[in-house]
Amino acid sequence: MMTAREQILQAVRDASRRQESAGDNVALEAGRLLEGIESCRPALPSVDVVGSFMARAAGPKVGASIDRIASLSLLPSAVGRYLAGRSKSAEIVLQPTAPLLGLDWSGAGVSRGENVDDGIAVGLARWGIAETGSVVFHSSRDTPILQAFLCALHIVAVPARGIVAHLDDYALAARYAGDPAPRNACLITGASGTTDIEGSLVKGAHGPRELHIIVVDNGIPS
Amino acid sequence: MRVDVPPFKSRAKAALGDAVLKTAIDRTAGNAEKKRAIAVGDFPQFPAARVRGRQIKDHVVANLGHYLVEFEQNAIRSGAKVHWARTSEEASRIVIDICRAAGAKRVTRSKSMLGEEIGLPHALETAGIERVETDLAEHIVQLAGETPSHIVWPAMHKTREQVATLFNAKHAVRPDSDAIPDLVASARRDLRKKFLTADVGISGANFLIADTGAVCTVTNEGNAELTTTPPRVHIVTAGIEKLVPSVDHAFALLRLLVRSATGGDFTQYTTFHCGPKRPDDADGPEEFHIVLVDNGRTRMLGEGLAEMLRCIRCGACMNHCVVYRQIGGHAYGATYPGPMGSVLTPVIDGLAKSHDLPNACTLNGRCAEVCPVEIPLPTLLRGWRDKSWKEGLEPLTVRAGIGIWAYFACHPRLYRPATAISVRWMRLFSKGGRISWMPLAGGWTEYRDFPAPQRSTFISSYRAMRKGSQQ
Repeated sequence: MMTAREQILQAVRDASRRQESAGDNVALEAGRLLEGIESCRPALPSVDVVGSFMARAAGPKVGASIDRIASLSLLPSAVGRYLAGRSKSAEIVLQPTAPLLGLDWSGAGVSRGENVDDGIAVGLARWGIAETGSVVFHSSRDTPILQAFLCALHIVAVPARGIVAHLDDYALAARYAGDPAPRNACLITGASGTTDIEGSLVKGAHGPRELHIIVVDNGIPS
Repeated sequence: MRVDVPPFKSRAKAALGDAVLKTAIDRTAGNAEKKRAIAVGDFPQFPAARVRGRQIKDHVVANLGHYLVEFEQNAIRSGAKVHWARTSEEASRIVIDICRAAGAKRVTRSKSMLGEEIGLPHALETAGIERVETDLAEHIVQLAGETPSHIVWPAMHKTREQVATLFNAKHAVRPDSDAIPDLVASARRDLRKKFLTADVGISGANFLIADTGAVCTVTNEGNAELTTTPPRVHIVTAGIEKLVPSVDHAFALLRLLVRSATGGDFTQYTTFHCGPKRPDDADGPEEFHIVLVDNGRTRMLGEGLAEMLRCIRCGACMNHCVVYRQIGGHAYGATYPGPMGSVLTPVIDGLAKSHDLPNACTLNGRCAEVCPVEIPLPTLLRGWRDKSWKEGLEPLTVRAGIGIWAYFACHPRLYRPATAISVRWMRLFSKGGRISWMPLAGGWTEYRDFPAPQRSTFISSYRAMRKGSQQ
């Protein structure tokens, strides 16, 4: 008796024998379908990729707030500035990654905590994508995925040199970095939202209510 | 999977009489239609992207066997377990077996229409496993004991007032008010703990990436990642047509999917899941299962419905369908409503049970106009009509009526005097140029009138004209 796998593959082959391309040709054809993709994707508003990213992320479609600092050492004060004036005493949970843990947070007017559930998370994204205004995280030892989803306020630092123009450029960069398929690659494009009740947009559905992005020009080791 | 008793016509009639339903559909679908138009207007490359999207899907469908094997190999390499299911029953059984082996008491589920198609909610209930729907709309539908009425907005049939009543009755802590933001906050509060205490998380897949073995999910709420990360086991159920060659091809299709579905440019959360937790990962599931489901798809491939396998489930066809906008999703009595549903349901449930659906269409062509992968939906619907006629599934009255008309239409010498008589007969009932009642036309005139025909038939006017011009 044939297994489900054999039977499905047999049925597929019986049905598509006439159109199917031979082994190597499939890859060639797939590659050809990506040629001239420039004509099938939105153009950036300017040649300045970082500027385009910032405009996009702060624009109405993404709705994040945005800041830019010259160096990573300025991150604690940028975070403190963003959180100043909030009623609750700000307690932040850092993504457990060396560049963030190594900063001096003492003078920033924030305290460090452990509980990220409905709290404030500070993360370090690897890439930014100007086309969509997304920041990208790859799961790893120092990048827990849940942090980005459990917090109520997500503050994300992204290195300026990790910002690429288009989605396809991110795919290429991830391949070049030798990390094309981590367990999770998360493209985050704004705060959590829903339009499930009468199509009306509400932020903070299950994940963060707010997303604050800080572009860092220098000082993040690759 | 649904056991529906009343036939389509009575369901449609009941839906047409429901004023609240009409309001609910108009609020969401109307919004979606407007937002899509703006998003597509802002994307001048849309027509080119659409052609490319169609080509990518056609390439995958033509080489489906190749991509299935490639995907399977790469998924296994990433540590995933790959299962194959021929039917909905087989797929549900595989999922339940995995849940049982994991000793699961509570399962969280991120919205997946394929899960609905294979009857997973029902199967979990029968197996005595607590099911927690985490998509806000699915949560509403679950609390109400209903089924989804739209593939993108499953609770489209509910007004905010109805949701408020439901949450006040069912949530442990009542919403702060009946305003939509407070209703959303109430669902967040209710579901947060459940996310963290589930034993198994089940998701669908928007794309299966052949060259890495990864699975792509898109949500705006972030519920997919909250469903798939904390539990020990993650199960993906996906139709075999979801394959794409690489992540780059997925991006090309995502540009079309999101704009067509919600009018956004990109979903808030687009995540690729590849295998279980790696040895030094900070979090993630220990087991990762992928169930590849056929359930009629290979039959579609062999029986002239390959074009339908392009479908990326954006829902634009239903948002723009004049019939869907009047009757909503439940009247279709199937997992997939609207134009795409009327093509798919006869495959899944059999034409004998669903031959009314391809007829619930005006053939105005709007669905094909907005489809991001150029599926010729009206043509496919006409194909089902043809098949239904050939298989003798249409009722005797319809067959007899069309038979009589066809006889006259094939005999012009009879047809012309017959139409001349009909025109005179119809004009007897005309009041001020409109007919609001006429014997044998009750089905039409019960709800609307129609214009009275002109005094003479086309052929007699034509002859008179030719005579005039010859003189």
